Amino acid sequence: MALALAAGGLLAYALLWASPYGLRVLTVAGVYALASFGFQIIFGLGGALSLAQGAFFGLGAYVTGILGSRYGFDASVTFPLSLLAPLLVALPVGLAVLRLDSHYFALATLGVAQVLHLLVVNLPDLTGGANGVPGVPPFALFGWSAPRGLPTTALVWGMVAVGGLIGWRVARGRLGRSLALVRDDPMAAACLGLDVGRLRLTAFVLSALYAGAAGALAVHTQRVVSPEVLEFPVMVTILTIAVVGGRGRMVGALLGALLLIHLPEWFRGLERSYLIVYGAALLLVILLAPMGLTGLWARLFPPPGRPLPDPVEPPARPARNGERLRAEGVTKDFGGVRALDGVSLRLEAGVIVGLIGPNGSGKTTLINALSGLERVDSGRLWIDGRTMTNARPDRIARAGLARSFQAAILPDDATALEAVAAARLPLDRRVEWAEAHARWALERLGVGALADRLCHGLPAALRRRVELARALARRPSVLLLDEPAAGLTDAEKAELAALLRALAADGMALLVVEHDMEFLLPLADRVLCLDRGRRLYDGAPDGVRRDAGVIAAYLGGVGA
Amino acid sequence: MVTAVQLLVNGLALGAAYALVALGFVLVLNATSAVNFAQGDLVMAGGLLAVALAPLLPSAVPVPGLLLLPLVLVLMAGLGLLLALVAYLPLRRRPPVSVFISTIAIGIILQNGAAVLFGPEPRVGPPLLGDGVVRVGGVAVPEQSLAIMVVAALLIGAQHLVFSRTQLGRRLRATAQDPEMARACGVPVTRMILLTFAIGAACAGAAGLLLANRYFMTPTAGGDLILKAYIAVTVGGWGSVPGAVLGALLIALFEVGVSWLLSQPVAQGALYGVLLVILVLRPQGLFGEAVRRRA
Repeated sequence: MALALAAGGLLAYALLWASPYGLRVLTVAGVYALASFGFQIIFGLGGALSLAQGAFFGLGAYVTGILGSRYGFDASVTFPLSLLAPLLVALPVGLAVLRLDSHYFALATLGVAQVLHLLVVNLPDLTGGANGVPGVPPFALFGWSAPRGLPTTALVWGMVAVGGLIGWRVARGRLGRSLALVRDDPMAAACLGLDVGRLRLTAFVLSALYAGAAGALAVHTQRVVSPEVLEFPVMVTILTIAVVGGRGRMVGALLGALLLIHLPEWFRGLERSYLIVYGAALLLVILLAPMGLTGLWARLFPPPGRPLPDPVEPPARPARNGERLRAEGVTKDFGGVRALDGVSLRLEAGVIVGLIGPNGSGKTTLINALSGLERVDSGRLWIDGRTMTNARPDRIARAGLARSFQAAILPDDATALEAVAAARLPLDRRVEWAEAHARWALERLGVGALADRLCHGLPAALRRRVELARALARRPSVLLLDEPAAGLTDAEKAELAALLRALAADGMALLVVEHDMEFLLPLADRVLCLDRGRRLYDGAPDGVRRDAGVIAAYLGGVGA
Repeated sequence: MVTAVQLLVNGLALGAAYALVALGFVLVLNATSAVNFAQGDLVMAGGLLAVALAPLLPSAVPVPGLLLLPLVLVLMAGLGLLLALVAYLPLRRRPPVSVFISTIAIGIILQNGAAVLFGPEPRVGPPLLGDGVVRVGGVAVPEQSLAIMVVAALLIGAQHLVFSRTQLGRRLRATAQDPEMARACGVPVTRMILLTFAIGAACAGAAGLLLANRYFMTPTAGGDLILKAYIAVTVGGWGSVPGAVLGALLIALFEVGVSWLLSQPVAQGALYGVLLVILVLRPQGLFGEAVRRRA
């Protein structure tokens, strides 16, 4: 509603009051809005700080500039190529660095920007060098061309509308939700089966396409292209627009672009120093209102809660009996310390295996190795008969393994329903289905009433429940739990034990790490004890209390 | 042969200056696990500070740069403190990307502030000693190159001594290794972090002063310099202090060598290509990564 009013106001301004110069500024704002939409996808949603958005913008600009002015091609050729060129640069760079920590991504993208600028200045035959390419024709398609003034403004803002709508759907949809999960906690996202690298690459490529389109339109507006389009101020402007407007929000990009592009016009005294004002604005917003203007708006006028979906049971994996996971001779060294020393393990459908051992005996390392978070130095792993040795965590997760962490990791600013629905994103094609399935998982764990509560304020016991629901929602065939009973009351422990038995009865294979023997021994069908990375005991729960080796390991006596 | 030695000298002089930039960057990185994106712009600020201060000296002074160096170090350390107070401390509990953006913002302000004050033209800073050339066995070595190497080596050596031999250094290292633990042991962590930013900015200022004479300084030079520091730290192993210094020397030698063989733009492009290859094949750096992500 507010959006429709604002759009109407903008339209009225453009049609009735704007001077030719005002229209031009409005057009530039549209161009920057378009580039910032793409930046919101990679940076706002994906959390990867790309410093190449300005470079892709410039690349799109040069492609249209050179092809349009030198060779006289119209937009049917230049526009697609202006999108293609940034895409072709983004792909190899993204493939190379997007799986690494995010600071490497910022570095690599900054490098792209520097190299492109260097190329343009040093290849004068192609690019006109420091002078650039003059005489770029207006946007023309099939004989129709957009003259200066209102038609160009309308064209650009038409593209802004289309691009904004696509971006909005992306942000709301499965890709946007998955990206937000990857941004908040890449490790948790991978353990839920999301391919972090591929998601970031998709976002990076999308951002490049937006930037290329914006660059092409910028050149049609300016009618000349020079190395300025590849310089850092363009990138700074886009970054400032995204942060000031509100990270991850397309409306934020729109608002930010209108505001920041008009700012130097409103304060004519600024002249060349307008970038100082941008820097100050960026600093103030990041310090005082990190979610930007739209975030501030959402806090002042919180949007009404959406109705909860009806619970729907997600399809189960085909039931199978017998072995679900097998590990053989798993060995892992950290520097000189052998954390795991030839550990073998079998998990079967319907069987609960307890994993015990003194602190530092390798329990969590084993779970990390089984779920793909640690690469093993030797040994092999199969899930449902398929080799998974040193596979990435997302692949292992998709093969049917789910796990919990010692400290439940849930995104603070998501509701319990959203947090659980995130686990269904790799499986369900639509967010609505994911949420319906998530509702089922929450109900199954008896915490359906928490669906619209924020994860941030949940007490520890309930956080664990929600995290378990998150694991369960994926209908895994193997479930690894790291100290699920820690911090629970006796009544809660009894409830948890009953729940885990029910899951096993459904055919799930469970591995439960736990220090609390009163909880674990009655629950487990089999117990495995580790000490200093070695298997010390593997057998019935009754025997573990009488086993001399286990007693020695716990008491630190001789003979261990 | 003579050319090779000449190139080596040029490469080492450039590398010595890069090493100071990378050193300041990696010290702050270790103390705060935050990327200080303004490091390149701090170098630029140090260089232009030297340019601005030089005319204030009496013209008969024989070693203008050397005299200005302590002043630049002190003023830049103050700027580093300010940077930490404004752009780091308020954000220390937020995701790392917040500090990234706040330091970018500081960089923008420095860069454009310099453009307003000095204009976009390249400026030449005062030489450390003089403009003379020393002949060593047929090789003409500019005094400035020698002075850059000596001054950088002295500063890096002093930093190393402080960090490895003094109580203050132990506190600084404890803060870098594990701030929570350091705080529990009674180390004033916040003061140590402020001090690290001051040292980092002083290193940048020294680098700026050293570079401003032979390589000129423009308000936009920071972008290129932060990239160099970043590459040096990546090549040397993220978080490794000796790795950063070694990485800086390596990339400077590479840059000087390829520039001579082909051209300056090719050298920059090739450096970036090599960086991508390293990131793909050995993301932990050539000498191994020092900082492991805390689980």
